[in-house]
Amino acid sequence: MSNNKLVDVKNLSVHFPVHGGVFSKRVATVKAVDGISFSIGKKQIVGMVGESGCGKTTVGRAMINILRHVSPDVEIGGSIEYHFDDEIVDFAKLSSGEMRKYRSRVQMIFQDPYASLNPRMTVAQIISEPLQLHTKMNAQEQRERVGWLLDKVGLQPEQARRFPHEFSGGQRQRIGIARALATNPDLIICDEPVSALDVSIQAQVINLMMDLQEEFNVSYLFIAHDLSVVEHISDKIAVMYLGDMAEFGNAHDVYHHPRHPYSKALLSAVPLPDPSRKNRDRIVLKGDVPTPLNKPSGCAFRTRCPVAEPSCAESKPVFEQQVKDHFVACPIVKGA
Amino acid sequence: MSEQQEISLSILKKRWLKFKTLKRGYYSFIIIISLYVLSWFLPVLINNRALVVSYEGELYFPVFSGYYAGSTFDQDVPGEAVYRQLDAKWEAEDSDNWLLLPPYPYSPYEDITVTGNKMFDAPSRTHWLGTDNTGRDVFARLCYAFNISISFALILSSLNYLIGILIGGSMGYFGGKFDLFFQRVIEIWSSLPMLFVIIIISSIIRPSFFLLIFIYTIVNWIGMTYLMRAEFYREKSKDYVAAALSMGQTNFKVMFKHILPNAMVPIITFFPFAVVGGITALVSLDYLGFGMPPPTPSWGQMLDVGLSNIPKWWMVFAPVSAQFVTLIMVVFIGEAVREAFDPKVYSRLR
Ligand SMILES: Nc1ncnc2c1ncn2[C@@H]1O[C@H](COP(=O)(O)OP(=O)(O)O)[C@@H](O)[C@H]1O
Ligand code: SF4
Ligand SMILES: [Mg+2]
Repeated sequence: MSNNKLVDVKNLSVHFPVHGGVFSKRVATVKAVDGISFSIGKKQIVGMVGESGCGKTTVGRAMINILRHVSPDVEIGGSIEYHFDDEIVDFAKLSSGEMRKYRSRVQMIFQDPYASLNPRMTVAQIISEPLQLHTKMNAQEQRERVGWLLDKVGLQPEQARRFPHEFSGGQRQRIGIARALATNPDLIICDEPVSALDVSIQAQVINLMMDLQEEFNVSYLFIAHDLSVVEHISDKIAVMYLGDMAEFGNAHDVYHHPRHPYSKALLSAVPLPDPSRKNRDRIVLKGDVPTPLNKPSGCAFRTRCPVAEPSCAESKPVFEQQVKDHFVACPIVKGA
Repeated sequence: MSEQQEISLSILKKRWLKFKTLKRGYYSFIIIISLYVLSWFLPVLINNRALVVSYEGELYFPVFSGYYAGSTFDQDVPGEAVYRQLDAKWEAEDSDNWLLLPPYPYSPYEDITVTGNKMFDAPSRTHWLGTDNTGRDVFARLCYAFNISISFALILSSLNYLIGILIGGSMGYFGGKFDLFFQRVIEIWSSLPMLFVIIIISSIIRPSFFLLIFIYTIVNWIGMTYLMRAEFYREKSKDYVAAALSMGQTNFKVMFKHILPNAMVPIITFFPFAVVGGITALVSLDYLGFGMPPPTPSWGQMLDVGLSNIPKWWMVFAPVSAQFVTLIMVVFIGEAVREAFDPKVYSRLR
């Protein structure tokens, strides 16, 4: 199993220093991601869920190493080890110059289909940009490839000459998918790719993405804030809470036998189509998510956890394998 | 019209089409551009030197080759030939020699030292806007000053833009220490009393066209720099930039291929107003006597001598109306550009 791994994230932490005052001194730290571990296998889909602000996007951006661009002083710890066919590289340790040759291997589909396409470029220019960077195709070959990719994502090749503002949200997201596929990547990070779309077209886009995953033999890290989106499509599910990994395991196990109190609460909120499971009690979480600027001591979830105990405030729970291939960060539920 | 035949227009093209519908600004644009292009041909349109002289079988081209003494053409004048008189003389004699004068045969530099020129000549068919206190033709000076004013403003604004985009863009894009360093520089810089600095510099060094541009750029780069810093800062956090970087695009390409076209709105909408600023800046310096060295034709200098000879109304009327008309047309252009770029029309929420 281990030689089938594509990427192994170990103890990844992403801290954003907050500066203030006259001398721009560091006054606080946003612990957006605070030591998480999980892995993605080749041709596997890992669903990542958690409330808004829990650090999902930050994990995704760390995995393609573009955080430093917006926040030059970000502190990244741990490792993000990619096992490509020919070599093993740790993206967490690479500078942006060293990253360049691996850029084609990992791509991202962004949450906002409006902001993620340059409004001044035609669709052809947008999709051929990665081709120019990573292939030796001439203009004619690029044009053909762009047409082929547009066809793959369900758009007409003739639409290549148009500008993004002439497309609907769903169509734009398809353009973003075509761009991500252009370099034949090993992994695509899909950051809530459908949450900005109309409910009526969400399913279409997800189905398209599933078909393309088969066809292009690519792995997905599929980020969503809602478990119901992720359940049907994922091989594995990772549940995050406030920069921590609460639970990580096979999709079936996490979905049907959640162990972490937070996962249980999330699942109880998912409307169930299966009547035999109707009797599951809905767990309503009290209070708001604390801020990553000032995380609670010990278990970050303890301020809202229905089964918290005094010991939960003392030390951060170990994220460990409690059942086979099922990792959980809660000592209280360990024996259960 | 079918879906396929419909042409796909970039936002910039749409804005240009919109601009064309705003008649006042569009016509001002056409007029100013045409006049400016025309003003580069002033030496053959408004000049005291003849375009062609045919004298005893030989051809001379004084406009292009320069000075010929009066004696060359057997004319009894001190120094350079006076082609207007030569023309009249040959005409009267019905001689075989002939010459071709520019349509308006007076130069902006030719004063009373030239035989036949008078001070304070009122507007007439020969001197459309009269002559000034040294006998120079006011209309000729006005036209040459137009070229200098617009060139000054265009070069100044472009230079400010270049610096603003390079420094401001890098500040916004790279952030961090580079940004902090230039922020402090700008703060110190903008606290200096710049008008005095300019006056001091131009009282030490004899100002010239390029020295004035240099001095004004030193003062003015800050505005565009701050604007560009804000633009690049805002754009760099958008996902299309993240997408470009995640496919391995270089910072240089990201800045100039991706971000700059998206930062064009303030660049273009601000440009006419920067030109207005440039024109007025030169006028005020010239008026105060710290501008272009005499005898360079300039509106500010004309205004200055005009105001000290106020009964000769044409000497005030000419530079004031030229400035007024030019500035108001540039402002019309600016207004129309701003309306054409109004984000409400093409916003993504439309
Ligand atoms: N560049 C940054 N600088 C400072 N804080 C950031 C930055 N990016 C994200 N954060 C903070 O990190 C936390 C996680 O954000 P994010 O990863 O976007 O969460 P999610 O995608 O799960 O909604 C949020 O509290 C957010 O405010
Ligand atoms: S460690 Fe304690 S607070 Fe945290 S999830 Fe487990 S029971 Fe709840
Ligand atoms: Mg997010």
